[in-house]
Amino acid sequence: MGSNRREFLTQSAGALAAFAIVPNFSAIGAAKSAMLGAAANQPLNVGLVGAGRQGRAILGELAKIDGVRVVAVCDDIDSRLRAGARRVQGAEAFGDYREMLEKQRDMHAVIVATPTHLHRRIVEDALAAGRHVYCEAPLAHTVDDARAIARAARNAGGGLVFAAGLEARSNPIYQLARTFYRTDAVRDPVAIEAQHFRKTSWRFPSPNPADERAINWRLDPEVTLGLPGEMGVHQFDVAMWYTDRMPTAVSGGGAVMFHDDGRTVADTTHNTIRFDRGLAMQYQASLANSFQGRHEILRGSNATIKLAWTFAWMFKEADAPTQGWEVYANRQQFHNEEGITLIADATQLASQGRLQDGVGLPNPPLYYALSDFVSSVRENKPAVCNELDAMRATIVAIHAAKAAETGSEQVIDAALYNL
Amino acid sequence: MPTLLATNALGTRVELVLDAPSSPGLVSIGEEAIDEILYWHDRLSLFQPHSLLSFINREAASRAVAVDDDVFGLLSLCERVHALSGGAFDPTVRSGGHDDRERGDDASPGWSSLVELDRERRTVRLTRHGVRLDLGGIAKGFALDMAADLLRSHLDCAALLHAGTSGVVVIGRKPRKIGVRSAGGVSFVTVEDAALCVSSHRGGRRGDDAAASDPNDGTDIDAGLADRARARFSHIVAPDGLREPIGETDFGAGGETSLVIGRSCAEADAWATALVVLGRRPGAMPTALRSSVYADDRWSSDGGVEFFQICGSEAD
Repeated sequence: MGSNRREFLTQSAGALAAFAIVPNFSAIGAAKSAMLGAAANQPLNVGLVGAGRQGRAILGELAKIDGVRVVAVCDDIDSRLRAGARRVQGAEAFGDYREMLEKQRDMHAVIVATPTHLHRRIVEDALAAGRHVYCEAPLAHTVDDARAIARAARNAGGGLVFAAGLEARSNPIYQLARTFYRTDAVRDPVAIEAQHFRKTSWRFPSPNPADERAINWRLDPEVTLGLPGEMGVHQFDVAMWYTDRMPTAVSGGGAVMFHDDGRTVADTTHNTIRFDRGLAMQYQASLANSFQGRHEILRGSNATIKLAWTFAWMFKEADAPTQGWEVYANRQQFHNEEGITLIADATQLASQGRLQDGVGLPNPPLYYALSDFVSSVRENKPAVCNELDAMRATIVAIHAAKAAETGSEQVIDAALYNL
Repeated sequence: MPTLLATNALGTRVELVLDAPSSPGLVSIGEEAIDEILYWHDRLSLFQPHSLLSFINREAASRAVAVDDDVFGLLSLCERVHALSGGAFDPTVRSGGHDDRERGDDASPGWSSLVELDRERRTVRLTRHGVRLDLGGIAKGFALDMAADLLRSHLDCAALLHAGTSGVVVIGRKPRKIGVRSAGGVSFVTVEDAALCVSSHRGGRRGDDAAASDPNDGTDIDAGLADRARARFSHIVAPDGLREPIGETDFGAGGETSLVIGRSCAEADAWATALVVLGRRPGAMPTALRSSVYADDRWSSDGGVEFFQICGSEAD
């Protein structure tokens, strides 16, 4: 890996291009009360910053949510801006998010789906301008930036909602499985494993050579958190949310195993995330293999839960007590193991003879995360994934990325978890 | 040496052949196209409960569902081909999984009365509960179109993109001889910068006595293809540059097979479905589309498709 790597824990982003016009967002924020949200019977006006693949997926899910109107799409890369704007009828296209914040006076909320290292300035400015904010995870590529975003969200006040895109927390199947994990059904946590395997180069074509570095930021060692940071953050958060424990240290390693195209960012990584009382999470990620994709496995003394994004199963130990609902359960065979399919609203579906209808989520997890954000704004209730949860997961992801890059154990200062 | 990328999507194996040596930039373009295929697979799958199509099928009988321009364009194409084909192409399905036409219930309504598209608001509505859309007759072609558009905007080499058992998009001004299997054997048709789709009444495994001729026709297809083709059949068997038969589904055991060539793979896909239902080319079919139907032991072409017969009487 490059020897001139950034200082992981101290630098802030500072990577945004300078703009000729810098509006005074604090002044705009004085009019916050007008921005807080649409009346219950009016559309919630939303602007998207970052129209890459994730941004376009967000637009697709927002279109399914009643009462949401995307009024603006912003990206400073023209090809992406056009691709995003094409997916929304009537949205105004912007190349500069500051101009969007200034001109779209009736825009209530901003969704930030830019490269990770660009989040901080956009989130701070959007909050200062009195907009609710949904920010993709990880929050930032440095601890300083992650903490700054969390502080800005906490201090925003005025009823502004800040939500982070750690989608598992809004995922109905993950929520259901967590209720089992935290009861006698699974009992004492024993071990956690997770993986993100997908065979792809992580390189995107750039129609304009000048945009090459910006488009392929995930392969830029100066700003990327690599696989543990960009993908692992969601899975580390699952472990932290399920166990209610904060990791104390992370070790790991990584290498370019397959995509030998001059990159220095590892295409295959492994981490061990240590919690207290001996609990550890083994994490592997690769861009060179796709077998079994993404999943998390949480082992307990009574059962094991496997989470696979839109599906979840529970595998019981032979000596675990039988529970009443199991008679209704839908089961699936995995080699020598039989998994009980975890289905949201299973009891109700079973009573209607429609249990099979509940297998698999009816919407992508992203839909639920965005729906929760919209509900929080409309009903003035706390975000399902707030700034503190997101900051903590981001801090673990940053340490995991550092461990994978250097091969050395990273001890996490517990004070970092507090604001 | 061409660059090959592949994925499993749309119920088949999708392959992309780029006519240039592998490089990081070229692979990234290919991956973008493959990602586009996967994106549309996720959105248009009837079998994934979280797909956009499943969402439409759940919600659109209760309320008008807003869709983006791309999806609205796809649904508008469905409407257009349905009308021009006299209802032969009909992506509406009633509860129970049988569409009315297959049940022989001619009086049952189809797309024209079951689906409402609002062009102003870009919404789709199903007029009855128990109706759902099954885009299986067009989704592959549409996904290939979207990926091909992306490739055209980035590539400076020729390419070939196919969803093994039913559709091929040839990108660039390089003529390709595409093998098409019907009950009569393998025939070849030349395609240049266009899409080709085929459809068949039913699938099935060919018998051992079926002709799988050596394609010794002067094309650059691997002569070993015939042996492999005996073991594994597809509608579309061998674009040049590939060393394996395309696809893993057995088709072409008999009955009618239709073939359509046009600029849009979605349109060709839909019309191939309509033609195999009709058994002929209807007068209302757009003239820009070339087509042929295999029935009664021969290809009946509209004059726009010329087959290079490599089996049957010519090969004998």
